[in-house]
Amino acid sequence: MNKLYSGNRNAKSQRNILGMLIASTIFLGGCATNSATEQQQVANKDDPYEHFNRKMYTFNDRVDNYVAKPISDSYKWVTPQFVQTGVYNFFSNLKDINVVVNDVLQAKFAQSAHDTGRLALNTTMGLAGFVDVATQVGLEKNEEDFDQTLAVWGVPKGSFLVIPLVGPTTVRGIPGAIFDTAANPSSYVGIPVQLISLLNTRANAEGSLKFINEASLDPYVFTREAFLQWRHNLATDGKFEVSLDFDDELNNDVEPASKSTDISTENITLTAPEVNTEAK
Amino acid sequence: MILKKIQLTAIFIFCLFATIHTSAQAESAATAKQVVEKFQTELIAVMKNGKQLGYAGRYEKLSGPVSNSHDLTKIARIVVGKEWEKLSEAQQQKLVDVFIRLSISSYAYNFKDYSGEAFVFDSEEETTRGGVVVHSHLIIPDDKPVKFDYMLKEKGDSWRIINIIANGVSDLALKRSEYTSILQREGFDALITKINEKIDNYSKL
Repeated sequence: MNKLYSGNRNAKSQRNILGMLIASTIFLGGCATNSATEQQQVANKDDPYEHFNRKMYTFNDRVDNYVAKPISDSYKWVTPQFVQTGVYNFFSNLKDINVVVNDVLQAKFAQSAHDTGRLALNTTMGLAGFVDVATQVGLEKNEEDFDQTLAVWGVPKGSFLVIPLVGPTTVRGIPGAIFDTAANPSSYVGIPVQLISLLNTRANAEGSLKFINEASLDPYVFTREAFLQWRHNLATDGKFEVSLDFDDELNNDVEPASKSTDISTENITLTAPEVNTEAK
Repeated sequence: MILKKIQLTAIFIFCLFATIHTSAQAESAATAKQVVEKFQTELIAVMKNGKQLGYAGRYEKLSGPVSNSHDLTKIARIVVGKEWEKLSEAQQQKLVDVFIRLSISSYAYNFKDYSGEAFVFDSEEETTRGGVVVHSHLIIPDDKPVKFDYMLKEKGDSWRIINIIANGVSDLALKRSEYTSILQREGFDALITKINEKIDNYSKL
């Protein structure tokens, strides 16, 4: 009986393994086909996982539409503007701790003094950061984070990734985000504060998300390009680069069907000084 | 009543001056900086009357300024990259036509009203390949300024904008990624349909 049972179980497990093998073959085959066609079709060297990323992007977009946006809209509807600004300032002030740490790690000592002054002023005179007094007296906010520090240290950005429930990043952005989360006090004060922080982030991204919706023909590609350019611009502190590979195309008006060089957008990215596109 | 009359007279004089100014500039070849500044002035003027003009009015007013300051044909060509050569002449023409309408409508939609914004010229630099970059920024009251860098190329005897980099994000690079991706994934007709949808949305939103 026992033997029979165990034989049955063996058969069952064998079927299961076979099933899994078939499934994985189909799955892997599917992946291979997709990635092959995609590489042929899209060939964006910053985004080798486009197939996966697009799926995650669609997933995140749905979660945002059905969960995050309604909550964020309600928050914006019930909360007076001055409270929203206060909440934004509060979390922005806590982030200034990260800014100072990353200033030092990037050896930007003058800027770190500036940002320490900002932090001190806003934490005291600005009532724990709820009022951004520093900007009013001319101490503008700088944007620094650990991803930028890694960039300054020469770490390449790696592939573009869309992480479920988190959003766009790059391989380098992952340790960047972990370090920044660890260095930010709001990570240690409990879930309610973190929820408000998330809500504040989403509410402040409303303008950007609306713009993407209105302006993009392909929201995924639009987000990817805008994100990569924005991060590049921050990492290089807006150092303006005039690298015009599309000039070849411009100047080749007389000789059509020009050499089919790699026309990845990285080469035609132009960046501008000291700016960011973070939604406010 | 008297105040209104004075205001109207002032607007009339301003318009007259603007016309003379425009034609005077058209005669002599304008520098890259002049092309950008003229366009920015026209944009701000439309924003100031944005509400009264409505979308259709803004589109009409901006049609000339956008077409005359940008090299939209060249931009349309660059944003599809290598795919341009694969398009038939009719398709190329169609793409240029809808692209021109999209460009004007996106200006008409995004610059709809005025709350004290002003463009400020920062500097100008020449690129190695004979282009010029005009650096400027838009001041927005109670908000962070937006950096606008215009890249211009010479077309005939005048300068035309071929790219705008807003806060470090290149419009040309962004569009090129989108357009080539759509062309490769979904084809020419899908691209035209999508552009037309955008134009339609801009007019309704």
